[in-house]
Amino acid sequence: MDDKLNVRQLVDAHKGTVKPAIYIDQDIYDLELERVFGRSWLFLAHESQLPKAGDFFTTYMGEDPVIVTRQKDGSIAAFLNQCRHRGMKLCHADSGNTRAFTCPYHGWGFGLEGGLSVVPLEQEAYRNGLDKSKWGLVRVPRLTTYKGLIFGNWDETAPSLEDYLGDMAWYMDGFLDRREGGTEVVGGVHKWVIDCNWKFAAEQFCSDQYHAPYTHGSAIQVLAPTPENKSDGKPLGDGQTQRPAWANGLGGVQFSEKGHGSAFFFTEKPDANVWVGGEVSEYFRETYPEAERRLGSVRALRLAGHNTMFPTLSWLNGTQTLRVWHPKGPNQIEVWVFCIADKAAPDSVKEALKASHARAFGPAGFLEQDDSENWVEVQKVLRGYKAKQTGFCVQMGLGFEERRKDGIPGVTNYTFAETAARGFYQRWVDMMTSETWAEIEARTKEYQKELVHG
Amino acid sequence: MDDLSAKAAASAVYKVSPELQHEVEQFLYLEAALQDEHRFREWLGLLSEDVRYTLSTNTLAQVRDRRRGIAPPTTYIFNENKYTLERRVARLETGMAWVEEPQSRTRRFITNVRITGQAGDEVRLSCNYAVHRAAKARDHHTFYGTRRDTLRRNGDSWIVVSRELELDEFVLVTANISIFL
Repeated sequence: MDDKLNVRQLVDAHKGTVKPAIYIDQDIYDLELERVFGRSWLFLAHESQLPKAGDFFTTYMGEDPVIVTRQKDGSIAAFLNQCRHRGMKLCHADSGNTRAFTCPYHGWGFGLEGGLSVVPLEQEAYRNGLDKSKWGLVRVPRLTTYKGLIFGNWDETAPSLEDYLGDMAWYMDGFLDRREGGTEVVGGVHKWVIDCNWKFAAEQFCSDQYHAPYTHGSAIQVLAPTPENKSDGKPLGDGQTQRPAWANGLGGVQFSEKGHGSAFFFTEKPDANVWVGGEVSEYFRETYPEAERRLGSVRALRLAGHNTMFPTLSWLNGTQTLRVWHPKGPNQIEVWVFCIADKAAPDSVKEALKASHARAFGPAGFLEQDDSENWVEVQKVLRGYKAKQTGFCVQMGLGFEERRKDGIPGVTNYTFAETAARGFYQRWVDMMTSETWAEIEARTKEYQKELVHG
Repeated sequence: MDDLSAKAAASAVYKVSPELQHEVEQFLYLEAALQDEHRFREWLGLLSEDVRYTLSTNTLAQVRDRRRGIAPPTTYIFNENKYTLERRVARLETGMAWVEEPQSRTRRFITNVRITGQAGDEVRLSCNYAVHRAAKARDHHTFYGTRRDTLRRNGDSWIVVSRELELDEFVLVTANISIFL
């Protein structure tokens, strides 16, 4: 055990309590950058954003800026977005196409493959000689794609992406593999700042179905398909789903494993949630047979609910929002939001989805506005001396964990539960207090075994 | 003249009568005041039934791409019609739109009003805006940008037919946009 910051005393996943220091402490945050973000598989970009050789997209891994590029041979590589000469940020564009990256400071130029190729005044300035082969960009050593999503990992000893995902892949496939051809990003990336710790956002998408009816009450009230809201009973057009996914009364599932989490309600029909545009909801109904053939009925029917792949990649089925919570210190995140469509969807549906997505979950979205407000206000309270010491209750559904016999994998519970939150924080503790991946995996496994007795 | 679609500023001043300039400016100030006073239903009455109200994201492009006319893709922040604007007002009226509970205070500043074209009973104008929002106990947010409006004559006043907003931020530095810009 290597718990120099005593984080094990701050999280008790067995009893369902966390101490707020984990959201505000600078030392804990610095250790997170090393032990969580420095060795987790992190989402970088979607392959559809880099169709051609020379295409690039800039993003972050933790707080490290990185450039993701499509190579001449069609492969993808990622590099620390930092000139090797004096540390300047190399590329300042969001995305684009280029033959090389040239530093604005002194003009060092790097090829697409990361090698240092141009040093201005090389003969005159480096009379002592400069071995350019030693000063290429720092490469992200582990990079892989999963059904269109590109992931990177700084840790050469990390398990494969498939092992890291475990059963989360089953849930992810339900989002990414509904139709032949996979998915693509529609339109640009929403980016905005929220003054809260990254774990509030990540944990909510991991585990918190419970907030939706209340936090988002106003949006549901004014967008519900009733004659009071619109005389034809269709505020969001033909095809709008009649009621929120949680109002069907058919039960549901929350999933937890290796820090990941997901939850959804069972529905009779393939209905996206009530706030999704009618044309988009209709598209999902029309394409259900193909999704069912590929995924089986449980996942094909699932067009609502939340997900987090530990630590910071989250998405909502049906709403089609995929987002990364980039950490910016213990008290701030930068949210990057992508709208994900089936590549095979007609252009008219993609356009409708882009509009539906922004209306619900863009920064001015009917639902998004209220989420960020909650996290910001919690973060403010945690400045207090007493508030810092006052534990949070994470006990919903404690002791009702099970492994299902119907093929829905992982440690599960009813939808309204905090099983995935407890799993998220346990995984976080295991990463924060373990030096090796073998220790991390052993500790997580032991916790899950205690939960479901096997 | 008569070009209501141009996005870039014309290189010469488009001349209009002081009366028209005055009339249009006073309309924009009235509209801003109604929003600042939370009289959103009255404000909706100043929008045409076919109003379009849009705001898209901004992106950072490298010079090589800009010269080729290539830019990173954008997406909508607002993409509204009369009905969705009305639903946003209805949301505020539920008393459960938590971001605006308790209600924020806003102050809108409209400057650099330039009428850029006229066609029939419509005028095209551009202006810059600044909006200050005070919320919760001590949150202060400012939004700066420009917009292009098309107004249509409506008796002795005007109605807004389209509003194309731009907001001068790449990464938005506020947690959300819960007001009209």
